[in-house]
Amino acid sequence: VTIDLDAEQRAFRDACGKLAADLAGSWRLGRGPDEVAPPQPSAPDWSRMADIGWFGLRLREENGGAGADAVYTGLLVEELARHALPAPVLGTLIAAEQLQAHGAAPELLGSIAAGSVRVAPLLRPDLSWFAAGPDALAWDSADADFAVSVGDGAAHLLGEPVGGIDLTRSIRPPLPEPPGSPQEVGCRPISAADQDRLAAFALAMLTADLLGTMEAAHAAAVDYARTRTQFGVPIGSFEAIADLAADGLVLVEATRSAMWYATWSVDALAPPDALRAARMAKAFASRAAVEVCEGAVQIFGGIGFTWEFPAHVWLRRAHASRRVFGDEHRQESLLAAQTFEVR
Amino acid sequence: MDFTEPPEVTRFRAELRDWLAREASAAPGRASYEPDEGLARTQLWYRALAQAGYVGVSLPVEYGGRGLPDSYEAVINEELAAAQAPPPPPIGHIAHAIADFASDELKRRTLPGLLGCTASWCQGFSEPGAGSDLASLTTSAVHQGDAFVVNGQKIWTSGAMWARWCLLLVRTETDQPKHRGLSMLVVDMASPGIDRREITLATGNREFAEVFFDGVQVPRANLVGQRGQGWQIAMHMLTYERGPADMGWVGRLGHVLGTAVDTVRSAGSQADEQLRRRLASSMVDVQVLQWHVTRSLANRNPAAPGSGGSLDKLLATRVEQRLHHVLADLADAAFVLEDRPFADYVWSRAQSVYGGTQQIQRRIVAQRLLGLPRG
Repeated sequence: VTIDLDAEQRAFRDACGKLAADLAGSWRLGRGPDEVAPPQPSAPDWSRMADIGWFGLRLREENGGAGADAVYTGLLVEELARHALPAPVLGTLIAAEQLQAHGAAPELLGSIAAGSVRVAPLLRPDLSWFAAGPDALAWDSADADFAVSVGDGAAHLLGEPVGGIDLTRSIRPPLPEPPGSPQEVGCRPISAADQDRLAAFALAMLTADLLGTMEAAHAAAVDYARTRTQFGVPIGSFEAIADLAADGLVLVEATRSAMWYATWSVDALAPPDALRAARMAKAFASRAAVEVCEGAVQIFGGIGFTWEFPAHVWLRRAHASRRVFGDEHRQESLLAAQTFEVR
Repeated sequence: MDFTEPPEVTRFRAELRDWLAREASAAPGRASYEPDEGLARTQLWYRALAQAGYVGVSLPVEYGGRGLPDSYEAVINEELAAAQAPPPPPIGHIAHAIADFASDELKRRTLPGLLGCTASWCQGFSEPGAGSDLASLTTSAVHQGDAFVVNGQKIWTSGAMWARWCLLLVRTETDQPKHRGLSMLVVDMASPGIDRREITLATGNREFAEVFFDGVQVPRANLVGQRGQGWQIAMHMLTYERGPADMGWVGRLGHVLGTAVDTVRSAGSQADEQLRRRLASSMVDVQVLQWHVTRSLANRNPAAPGSGGSLDKLLATRVEQRLHHVLADLADAAFVLEDRPFADYVWSRAQSVYGGTQQIQRRIVAQRLLGLPRG
């Protein structure tokens, strides 16, 4: 028994990567912060993503989706990150999962899958978890029509992006409610088990996102080390550079093992076990992604901290995704509490 | 991609768990390689483990193994750790050298004792002048009649003081380039002309030795594989020595971590929030290592284990050395007032040296897995 992607998973991943590369190609980083294009895909691009089935990938069939397991969504998210696609697909996937878990109407979910309604998850102001109260930010929410606070089922309209380091994903605050609103989308409370499953899914997806980001940075840095010459030889022949690259691969492959286990466990294990696995995977990936992206910046030398070169885009994404749903310190704090607190 | 344990593995695990529930009380608290009663107890435990069928399970049945996939070695590691027993004996690399290269006669003569843990083995690789540059070694074996005559010196040889057999890497082909001039011999450590001198480790343990060979006669039948094949066999061995389950690393880390977690859980632990969080961080590391090893072993091609072992060893080393920094702080003042915590910590520093240094492993990963040019 091997533990690897099967032919179908491989083909799916490759197809996702192909479209992501194509879509990401039209984004412009520009020569400075004033020139960077917002992470808002055009309407035709959004339709292509809807048509290939990305938004409804994990929604159940009765909700207009394909009912895929989390291994598939993980592979999609990894590819999106590998190409740093500036489109709110991950936000949509997580919001859709949350709405489905809370029993939102099939019409709404079907519209999300079809790309005609755009939603984003509502997070706490520190981005460390789903928001429980009115103080919230909609993450990865470029062009989202609304974000739902699942506690009361209220659909909040969103304001202008608040800025932030991540150039490929928008964060927007809910607008103050005009009288008579907000619109209700019909959410019900969910069991502890469903909450755990939802949390495991979100953490596993952020792990996949971190993996794709670190893979992109690492692969580009290794290519550069093969071709860039100094002192008359490729810099990758120097041990100091080769060591950074080797340590980077160790972290990439360990994170891949963790991502595979975490995404597999979302649907295969009991919810508390899946959540624990996803927490561990997210903690490991958060630390590893920053280290690998920093190593890549170092290997690139001077070009690595210029605006026009994408190394900072990856480093920004690594730091942002590390924080979203909690960084390694938060995950490890929760694991410590679970392990050591007297019950 | 499926991490679901096949039912036959679950059955195997359950049987092992039952066996451990009955027998684990006989296990020493930790593996000891001191030439004293600790060693005797460790060897008895290994023998019991072997008799119950849990040593070398991935080796062929006809030589004392069970012919099971490599992934079963990881199960044994995990269950021994969970039972707070020492990891399986670190012999996988030697067993593979013999099983994959030796003549049938030599296999039948040596593997039952190795896998049955009735005869202990050492590995004669490093020399005073040949550490990371192993292929430059100079211990010679000259073919005379029906034997090789061995002269030279080995150093840092674990377990040499009490080993019955030595897997010895020697130079036989003086007219060949250095990597092609080596051969592998099985040497009876009781042979005349062998002199062993104990080396005390920085931990205080007396596990190492230097071994001198002065005209030692080794029967021609004890040649493993062909003359000149020594480097290939050594590299094959090292891929197993670098696999974290083959050498019981995963089990050992699980054991060490489990003990630390129990200590912190116990009433009266002074570990503060920060230390608890750092220990949780090591739990994360060890868990990710276990997932990674599960994946590596499931996917490893037994015919060509490849360079992945170097990557896995780098990961295991990183995890272990980070864990030992946490343990040092958990031990608090005892870390400087008592010997044991410091000895454990010093041993964690050896992880990045033996079996090929961290620097050599990075070289292998950079050149063979990443395709970076040689310097």
